[in-house]
Amino acid sequence: MKNVKRHMSLLLAAAMLSAAVLTGCGSGSGAASGEVVIYTNADDEAMEAMKHALDANGYEGKYLMQSFGTSELGGKLLAEGTNIEADLVTMSSFYLDSAQEENSMFKDLEFDAPTIDEYPSFYTPITAQEGAIFVNTEMMAENNLPMPACLKDLTNPVYEGQISVTDIQSSSTAWLLMQALVSTYGEDGAEEVLAGIYKNAGPHIESSGSAPLKKVRAGEVAIGFGLRHQAVADKADGLPIDYIDPTEGNFSLTESVAVVDKGDKSNPLAMEMAECIIKNGREELQQTYPLAIYEGETNDSENLSAYPMVFPEPLTVELLEKHQQISENAKVLAEEL
Amino acid sequence: MNRRKENEIKGIFGLVVLVFLIFLLIPLARLFLKSFMGDTGLMLGHYAEVLTGRGFLEAFGNSLLISSVSAVVTTVLAFILAYAVHYCNLPGGYKGFINRAAVAPMLLPTITYGFAIIYSFGKQGLITQLFGTQLFDIYGFNGLLLGYVIYTLPVSFLLLSNTMSYVDKKFSIVSRIMGDSPFATFVGTVLRPLLGTLAASFVQCFFLCFTDYGIPASVGGEFEVVATVLYNEMLGSVPNFSRGACVAMMMLIPSVVTIALLHYLEKYNIRYNKISQIEIRKGAVRDAVFGVLSALILLCVLSVFAVIFVVPFVDEWPYRIRFTLEHVISVFSDNSLITVCRNSLIAAFLTAAVGSLTTYGAALTTARSHLPGKVKQVIENISLITNTIPGMVIGIAYMLVFSGTPLQNTLFIIIICNVIHYFSTPYLMMKSSLTKMNASWETTAMLMGDTWLKTIVRVVTPNAMGTILEVFSYYFVNAMVTVSAVIFIAGARTMVITTKIKELQYYTKFNEVFVLSLLILAVNLAAKSLFHYIATDRQKVKVKKTARRPVVSKSIS
Repeated sequence: MKNVKRHMSLLLAAAMLSAAVLTGCGSGSGAASGEVVIYTNADDEAMEAMKHALDANGYEGKYLMQSFGTSELGGKLLAEGTNIEADLVTMSSFYLDSAQEENSMFKDLEFDAPTIDEYPSFYTPITAQEGAIFVNTEMMAENNLPMPACLKDLTNPVYEGQISVTDIQSSSTAWLLMQALVSTYGEDGAEEVLAGIYKNAGPHIESSGSAPLKKVRAGEVAIGFGLRHQAVADKADGLPIDYIDPTEGNFSLTESVAVVDKGDKSNPLAMEMAECIIKNGREELQQTYPLAIYEGETNDSENLSAYPMVFPEPLTVELLEKHQQISENAKVLAEEL
Repeated sequence: MNRRKENEIKGIFGLVVLVFLIFLLIPLARLFLKSFMGDTGLMLGHYAEVLTGRGFLEAFGNSLLISSVSAVVTTVLAFILAYAVHYCNLPGGYKGFINRAAVAPMLLPTITYGFAIIYSFGKQGLITQLFGTQLFDIYGFNGLLLGYVIYTLPVSFLLLSNTMSYVDKKFSIVSRIMGDSPFATFVGTVLRPLLGTLAASFVQCFFLCFTDYGIPASVGGEFEVVATVLYNEMLGSVPNFSRGACVAMMMLIPSVVTIALLHYLEKYNIRYNKISQIEIRKGAVRDAVFGVLSALILLCVLSVFAVIFVVPFVDEWPYRIRFTLEHVISVFSDNSLITVCRNSLIAAFLTAAVGSLTTYGAALTTARSHLPGKVKQVIENISLITNTIPGMVIGIAYMLVFSGTPLQNTLFIIIICNVIHYFSTPYLMMKSSLTKMNASWETTAMLMGDTWLKTIVRVVTPNAMGTILEVFSYYFVNAMVTVSAVIFIAGARTMVITTKIKELQYYTKFNEVFVLSLLILAVNLAAKSLFHYIATDRQKVKVKKTARRPVVSKSIS
């Protein structure tokens, strides 16, 4: 018996060690295999759409798609620069701007894809994601809450403790809310409205973009603000969730595809795949993210939001920082309310 | 004192320090340098910005407060549990249960803690529904305290229980026979020998709370803590490593205080010539009190996790409670699951092996050598630093240093990172056990002609086997559940289960998150029983050998 055990432990150790060696514990075996590595912060619907486009056009098995949260991928882009494992990246556009400015890490795109709006030469959008209010219908009924029609309604004291929003310091999802407020009420007005919303949100000012939906689903709060398509999916799934397009507008942020410039080591397939995703993936992508981005596309999906709007200024990091300051001021103001 | 040259120990010391130099100090220095770098060379501008930022000092104060309170509460609770196991006449089965239940939270990824609290004590939570009313407001101080206590209880219990098993209980009897009051006996023979470990437990728990980001993100509410500030600076919507590095530097300040504290408490560490297995004195009241208290503590802890056994198997908690295997099937039909599981197992196993060796080597130099105090202090300080650095900071520092090297995106770097990130607690356990053993074994053995290595292998190691097993197991389970640093250094081919969890969380597929968490729990439980099974047999063999040990002779080899 004793020997059996000893053999077992030795066997286990040997198996683990050999597995480690075989799986290339000490080498980045990727480059040799020629697979294009794609890092993405896209949601699973968008990932599926991109995979379908690639697989249907002869790239099946020639790429490896890895998803990250926006924060983590943002950190990786800034820290790793062109040393990043990925050949191709899809990511929130303004992060790509920052990364390019910091590390000059992306190539100019080598294909034409005429967009309705103008974008830098090194990336082109895959999706435009809109913001919306969403509610837990059971909680609304249970607490006799009136349905809000606009963001300003959320400052109504009846909603105290029933609202969850995202903090623009930590997550860009909150920028969708901020753009709507600033463009409708001006910077000072936005600060005031936001202070009212923050007061009602109390402990539910979240650092993660997905947290408001999580709390609305769990019945912790009745109302949240976040990505519209996620609420649409929940409603379709039969959850007690409904969404409301605020009259201030459904603003949007784009996520784009960019090709990492690895000099001589660049994988030529990466550029082809970027093109393939845009040329062949947009149709399916538009089913989830209905906004038209490219010329020839139309806004006729049934999922289309009621008030699609575009912020009058370019969405730069400087603008984001300005909006962060408005949010910080609103937090101070909220404490005085 | 210099009876031998101790070249072996010096070699081990050199190796350990080299590893930490390359994989801890250089990456951190690289990151911290950023905090001083401005557009015009070296400057302190980032510090001014951070310090005057809205609410930074308040958040820092909040963190000190909540971490201290949590650390005290946890240490007291863990002491009760460990005391029940080591000093009370409770049925063996019950003691076994305490041993296992007290460390149970460690077997789950911390991602689940916030969910578990909300799904249990939230407005629609399981426990709220059982009681018909919400027991307390879960956002802010209360929620954080609950989360942190659950999070740190295993570590505190492991440290205290480990040291208690090396405390000679015979001294309690001697003390009573000498006419000490029960209280004096308790203070003199239980508390005093444990003082160093109690302090260590406080420090470990304090820093685990101080650096944790996940729990405040879920239930912090308006009680802002410094870990959240760190996250917002490092990885917020406008990531800024320079300012993030400033915050991380500030977070090192409390460790300076604790280095001094631990140094002072060092003198309370006690050695025993041998540990007598004696019968614990009868004390029905004591047994009842500690038995019931332990049960209550564990009931509270486990009830928080009850919900995670429910959520994955219902359609959508809390509104569509009907049994379904849909989430389980969805997780297991993902064909990348096999790869991430294999990666996780390899990483965890090798982390455990390398980690045990590293901590053992480090502890040998500090507990069983005559190296000068200053030299030993180097290892002590390394141990404390590893505990003070948030995982996110290690991850980002590693990216800055190791990107572009052959180490990038390998399992090797993940393993090293885990070994270093989790070094502190196992090192303390190992040191504690080696310190409590008779100091003259090596000398005796040498006089009898055995080499140092032989003594370590044949005498010291068998006697420390219980702790080595705990350390191995500690590293294994932590490597299975960790994510904060790994998320940055794992490549597309070296992703592990927890990075998969992070993905699912990002997709708002929370039910699948719970399915994978349960999978990790199952793996950890299986691994722990396997190690235990292998080790109990080993121990029996070794105990026999050790019993013979006084006759040290070459003929045995």
